[in-house]
Amino acid sequence: MTAEVLAGLAAVLDWQVLSFLAVGVSLGAVFGSLPGLTATMGVAVLTPLTFWVSAEQGLAMLLGIYCGAIPAGGIPAILINVPGTPASIATSWDGYSFTRKGQAGLALGINALASAAGQLTSILFLAFLAFPIASLALRFGPAEYFGLALLGISLMAGVSGQYVLKGMLSGMLGLAVALVGLDPMTAYPRYTFGMSEFLDGISFVPVMIGLFGLGEVLVQISDRHVGKRVATAVIGRILPKAQEVRTMLGATFSGATIGTLVGAIPAAGGDIGSVIAWDQARRVAPDKENFGKGSLRGLAASCSSCNAAIGGAMTTMLTLGIPGDAVSAILIGALLIHGIQPGPLLFANQQSFVFSIVFLLVFASLLIMLIGMLGAKPLARILNIPRPWLWTGIVLFGTVGSYALNNALVDVWAMYAAGVAGFLFRKASIPLGPLVLGLILGPMMESNLRRALILSRGDWLALLSRPILLGFLAAAVLSLLWPLIRARRAAGRNQRRTPDA
Amino acid sequence: MKRDDTVAGGLFLALGVLLIASGSAFPPGIGGLPGAGFFPRAIGGLMAALAVVLALKPIRAGRSEAFTISNRRQVTGTLGLLFGYLCLWGTGFFAVRTAVYLALTLRFLGQGWVPALTYSTALTAFVWLAFDMGLNVSLQ
Repeated sequence: MTAEVLAGLAAVLDWQVLSFLAVGVSLGAVFGSLPGLTATMGVAVLTPLTFWVSAEQGLAMLLGIYCGAIPAGGIPAILINVPGTPASIATSWDGYSFTRKGQAGLALGINALASAAGQLTSILFLAFLAFPIASLALRFGPAEYFGLALLGISLMAGVSGQYVLKGMLSGMLGLAVALVGLDPMTAYPRYTFGMSEFLDGISFVPVMIGLFGLGEVLVQISDRHVGKRVATAVIGRILPKAQEVRTMLGATFSGATIGTLVGAIPAAGGDIGSVIAWDQARRVAPDKENFGKGSLRGLAASCSSCNAAIGGAMTTMLTLGIPGDAVSAILIGALLIHGIQPGPLLFANQQSFVFSIVFLLVFASLLIMLIGMLGAKPLARILNIPRPWLWTGIVLFGTVGSYALNNALVDVWAMYAAGVAGFLFRKASIPLGPLVLGLILGPMMESNLRRALILSRGDWLALLSRPILLGFLAAAVLSLLWPLIRARRAAGRNQRRTPDA
Repeated sequence: MKRDDTVAGGLFLALGVLLIASGSAFPPGIGGLPGAGFFPRAIGGLMAALAVVLALKPIRAGRSEAFTISNRRQVTGTLGLLFGYLCLWGTGFFAVRTAVYLALTLRFLGQGWVPALTYSTALTAFVWLAFDMGLNVSLQ
């Protein structure tokens, strides 16, 4: 194992890999700092740029964007009360109060430190628990993988808030789009319309670029989110005092733990984790009344939690091949293009590569902490870039990047169609997450179910005798029914509270 | 619940029915084992069933609200310009075509001609250098 750890470290300690990481973290910081430009969009739009370099270099850049964008999302949340990424919603609750008090610098400093603490804690989780999880997953057969894929899509639909039904339909649409191409078992062409470009299926990356790049740009244009120029706030002191560090220490690590665990659940990301961690910190804090009004503990808990979700999501993605969130779904696509299949076999056959990922995440966390501490003022100025410049840049990079994948115009049209669909879906409140999961997990689901049926000689009931599969199926059903049960219980409580007329 | 749910439900229902119908044309499988047509039919059936529930929800709730896209002119204009750009892909020089497309889009989105032309030229040069020169992707 030591040899693999050292080999993984050696692969990362290459100036080209480190340069890609630095570029990725810097680009991530820019994407995160600009409200509306998310980590998902950054990774999707810039993924095509990584196909011409080695897997380590490409992954360094993409992980850099991921690790850079999430903490940077806290910058506009703190300075202008607008979260840069969905994960930093809870950061704005306390962060903006610091700015109003003339302590923006301190809030930015806490954001940088707590974010790094969250990321590093979750990377420890990845480093120590991923191998046992992967060895457990090695015992899974096709039936269990089918159940796992089904659970992933169900969880994503289940966490779609009040839109569970639309989430399920969105997942179904993803599964339907994944049908395009050759049948995974018999190579029978399905929905190819006689076009050879469709034999390999719809390219995943252009669809992601369309959904999260062009689609988001259109939403911003529609919402007249022109991005007012903002006066740079008074930054002031950035480093917290020793007393302040002691105050926020507990909240930081409880937030990191919650964020890691929530991030590890397929479909639940930093946005959910940070809200839960903020609420949990408030429950146990001696100064509950300060929460939402500039609490050190509240800010630290939300910042560490939304960043800790990264390590949790990466653990699920690497060990089981199931995306923990939308970014890790795109990372799976990028890894597959480099010939790397995430899943338990990765831990058996390419251990040094797994350790390379761990070290890349560690370096990215440290780098974004430095950027967050030293570059707070320049990053604050990024907020003044005119939005149309960004929109056209994203659309052009998305278009050329989609074309560059296979030198095929059909990929560009796929990006365009996905962009229009992504825009309309957002407008109709149809969640995009289940669609992405359906698209990526569809082939895995179908081929494993059919393999399992071949092994059971077509006996469906024999599949139900497998306890792990039954557990996954039960969890899938529960995840879909839970929002309905919760809504019914809440309605019942409200009815009891309302006195009879 | 909104009226757009009825529209979305109708569209999903149509897609579900289409999947069932097209799936029936694929090999059904042999010896009790599902073939290439099994998954399209299964997904189509589930999608159609869920779509019916979605479409009927606003009717059961007795309320409706229109599906609205604000700032429609700018959205359709941006999409139209991109559509035109993609239709012209492969004709003329990439740099000229792209710079003109970007400048028109920026102008359409409210930027002045001078900043629009300056930025579009710089961005086109950057993308051309990165992809064509740097990554050897033929953009012509």
